[in-house]
Amino acid sequence: MQTPSTTRDWILYSLLSLTIVLIVLAMYQIDRQWLKLSEMQAALSEQAKDMRELRGAISSGALAASASTNSTANGEVAQAFQRAYAASRQPDYAQGDWSVDAFFTNLKTITPLVSSDAYASNVQSYVLESLITRNPDTLEWEGLVAKDWTISEDGLVITFRMREDVSFSDGKPLTADDVVFSFNFIMTDAIQAPRERAYLEKIKSVTANGKYEVVFTFKEPYFEALSLAGGIGIMPKHFYEPYLKEPQKFNESKGLLLGSGPYRLNDPKNWTPDKGNIELVRNERYWGDVQPSYHRILWKIIQNDSARLTTFRNGDIDSYSARPVEYQELKKDPQIQAKSQNFEYMPPVVGYSWIGWNQERGGKPTRFADKRVRQAMTYLTDVSRVIKDVFLDYAEPAVSPFSKTSKQHDAALQPYQADLEKAKALLKDAGYQDKNGDGVLEDKAGAPFEFKLTYFQANEDTKRMVLLLKDLYARAGVKLIPTPQEWPVMLENLDKKDFDAITLGWTSGIETDLYQMFHSSQAVSKGDNYVSYNNPALDKLIDDARRTVDEGKRMPLWQQAEHILYEDQPYTFLMRRKSLLFVDKRIHNLQMTKLGLNFGSLPLENYVPLAQQKYTQ
Amino acid sequence: MLTYLLRRLLLMIPTLLGITVLVFSVMAMSPGGISAQTLIGGMDMKPQEKQALLDYYNKRYGLDQPAPVQYLRWLNNVSPIGFVSDSQGQRGEFSFSKGMDLGTSFQYGRPVSDILAERIPITLLLNLVTLPFTYIIAIMVGMKAATQRGSAFDLGAGMSMLALWSIPTMLAGVLLLGFFANVQYFQWFPTAGISSREAQDMPFLPYWDEGGFVRGFLLDRIWHLILPVICLSYGGFAALTKLTRTSILENLHADYARTARAKGLAENDVLWKHVFRNSLLPLITVSAGLLPSLLAGSLIVENIFSINGMGQLAVEAVKGRDRELVLSITWISGFLTLIGYLIADFCYTLADPRVSYD
Repeated sequence: MQTPSTTRDWILYSLLSLTIVLIVLAMYQIDRQWLKLSEMQAALSEQAKDMRELRGAISSGALAASASTNSTANGEVAQAFQRAYAASRQPDYAQGDWSVDAFFTNLKTITPLVSSDAYASNVQSYVLESLITRNPDTLEWEGLVAKDWTISEDGLVITFRMREDVSFSDGKPLTADDVVFSFNFIMTDAIQAPRERAYLEKIKSVTANGKYEVVFTFKEPYFEALSLAGGIGIMPKHFYEPYLKEPQKFNESKGLLLGSGPYRLNDPKNWTPDKGNIELVRNERYWGDVQPSYHRILWKIIQNDSARLTTFRNGDIDSYSARPVEYQELKKDPQIQAKSQNFEYMPPVVGYSWIGWNQERGGKPTRFADKRVRQAMTYLTDVSRVIKDVFLDYAEPAVSPFSKTSKQHDAALQPYQADLEKAKALLKDAGYQDKNGDGVLEDKAGAPFEFKLTYFQANEDTKRMVLLLKDLYARAGVKLIPTPQEWPVMLENLDKKDFDAITLGWTSGIETDLYQMFHSSQAVSKGDNYVSYNNPALDKLIDDARRTVDEGKRMPLWQQAEHILYEDQPYTFLMRRKSLLFVDKRIHNLQMTKLGLNFGSLPLENYVPLAQQKYTQ
Repeated sequence: MLTYLLRRLLLMIPTLLGITVLVFSVMAMSPGGISAQTLIGGMDMKPQEKQALLDYYNKRYGLDQPAPVQYLRWLNNVSPIGFVSDSQGQRGEFSFSKGMDLGTSFQYGRPVSDILAERIPITLLLNLVTLPFTYIIAIMVGMKAATQRGSAFDLGAGMSMLALWSIPTMLAGVLLLGFFANVQYFQWFPTAGISSREAQDMPFLPYWDEGGFVRGFLLDRIWHLILPVICLSYGGFAALTKLTRTSILENLHADYARTARAKGLAENDVLWKHVFRNSLLPLITVSAGLLPSLLAGSLIVENIFSINGMGQLAVEAVKGRDRELVLSITWISGFLTLIGYLIADFCYTLADPRVSYD
């Protein structure tokens, strides 16, 4: 028989457990204090080092000499920083505050080359810089780290002259060696950068010509040579070189990020996804003519849509991008209206959606191999109704892969207007008739005109669009069978070309290359010419355009190619959708440029006036 | 007892093997299948770029080999004894001490064990807070309902528990967020994550300084956990409360309880010293499933509150056909389920001296 425990025992036990808990908590507390202390020490020693260097520079007179040649001192601001400079001249301009935004999913890694998602490259764009950048007003290239450049007559050699005052965020100067290293690093087989390598394979060699000049030599003329060479993110040699010896460590790393950009990681080696957010601090050593305004750039991870909206309402994130229906509702919401500014815009790089008509299946031509059938399908696809009913007019019809604002586009081409009679006539011409009176057309062999339209199941808007199309097609006696598929399944079917018709989207660039989707050489298995479209005339135009470095001669070629696509309709081009964005009112100087809204564009042009700043530090 | 334990442990091996064969075959046969293709998400990639990526992944993960070979290789890697393989994947000599390697996740490009080590503590924390909370409330309500059978409390508790049980977690989560984290209603709790940005700079414990009260890391974490824990626990109340109530009622009317009362024992002593202990048995049975659920995580709650736990990871892995990750997760949860039952069986012997496995 055990003795019953008395109240005194209980008190004793509780006191003992309480003491243990308190000791553990105190241990945690002290541990964190130590961490904080060592962080502060590191910052102090870095500042001391800067001070020493500065003192050395003053005593040697180097500073005075460079001040007289300094471009900003002369009131000259480099072209790339003109817009940011103009922003900093505004009367309410102030430095400070943070930019806070949300990502929809957790990032797997932010190490350059290894990371593959758009979020990671967004983070990297604040840290890594390249030789050139695109002007948001003129869309022309202009120097960032490069002062200027020359292109040889044959377009094979590009020589960049670099600025001499650029340094990485750890204080080491950026030289031509770093550019050469970045290229060689990417081209190293052991480094996990197969996709970058596939692009850069066109470059024969990169060499440093002195400390501040770098020469790119190409294997063949290529129309995107300048953006290819100038767009490489410059990685500091002294930081990344050790990883050539242990590539596995680099490939598996989560956050190895250091560059010359306006922001930097507090600890460039140890970011991990379990931190739950990504935070960049201002690079106090930034070389640019205009210093960025925000102290910090912070991205939170918020996966759930309603949580993201609530967070935006609470003012804890600065922007919220909405779907059409939601956008219309939120525009009427007084709480949102009071705190934010809203934007509807269409950047030139916005992708277009399309329906691809598969022309060959199992080695045999399908019914869509007939141009008349494809044209009829386009006439049946009432894009303006889709835009109105499904996307609430927040989209515009696409004519071709080229954006309306692009120089590649011929303004004379207008989108196909829906026309039931024309479609019926074309189908009749192609040999389709309703012979048995069941409302569905039959071909000459008597087989009904029905086809499966494959689409990605998770997209609500696409689902609604497909149902609308089903009704539209039925009016002409064409039977559409909606076939939703999961992403991996869809990819597999695309590769095997195992589908009747498919709807998807492509992203565009400022200048869109047709080679990938429409060149007949890409109709092979796993190529991106999924629909097996083949037109020798178009092939030739694409090849010529890609070889032509001179823009004035290249654009007419693209326009001719566009005419062929317009006539052939290998895809029925659907639409380009607008970005619908709410931004917190405290963010100032939001402007529309030719690249879209300048929210978060670099060099940074947005700022928060002093009176509206909420985050200190 | 020892032989029984040993026999049970040895029987686990074929069961676990069976689980992996099954999962592996399902993965291999699923539409869209496990191939490097699924690793390549972007539609905006040029064909040569895509091909380069495909070749790279095929080579790196050996995806171009027949499925049985891939399975045997995986098995060899995870088994603590087997052939040592070098970095090129070539088979070396047989070893009894080569250690386990869960492989590399396709999607993340990192060792599975690293990813699990990042995610498990988060899910563990959530569940370790939720479970005692659920059990304590359920047992307290269940006991009170049983002792006051037929009273207003019994009726009210039964009804409200049933009502709670029937609210979908998805709805509850969104409502909680909408009302208790929204500036338009009560902005009492944060909207996402398990810790706020500011907490990183705070000391661990709360304190007061000239600027006022500082939450500290610990309180901040608790503050972030309140809504998710409510969401995770309310659904469990109903079943557990009912179970406790029935079990206690049954025992309260048993002969031994009557004898105890007849001996003159106070009603409280009857309840706590005799009835309660005997009523534990069904609760122990239920708790056998707890161990795997400690690590399983809840997809819905994790998604609503943006918590990167195991639930999210499992779904991501299946969606991305990340075989290594799926296999490791099912394997670990299978193992924990078996261990859970073993522990439950062992607990029976503690709670009821009549149970013995010898």
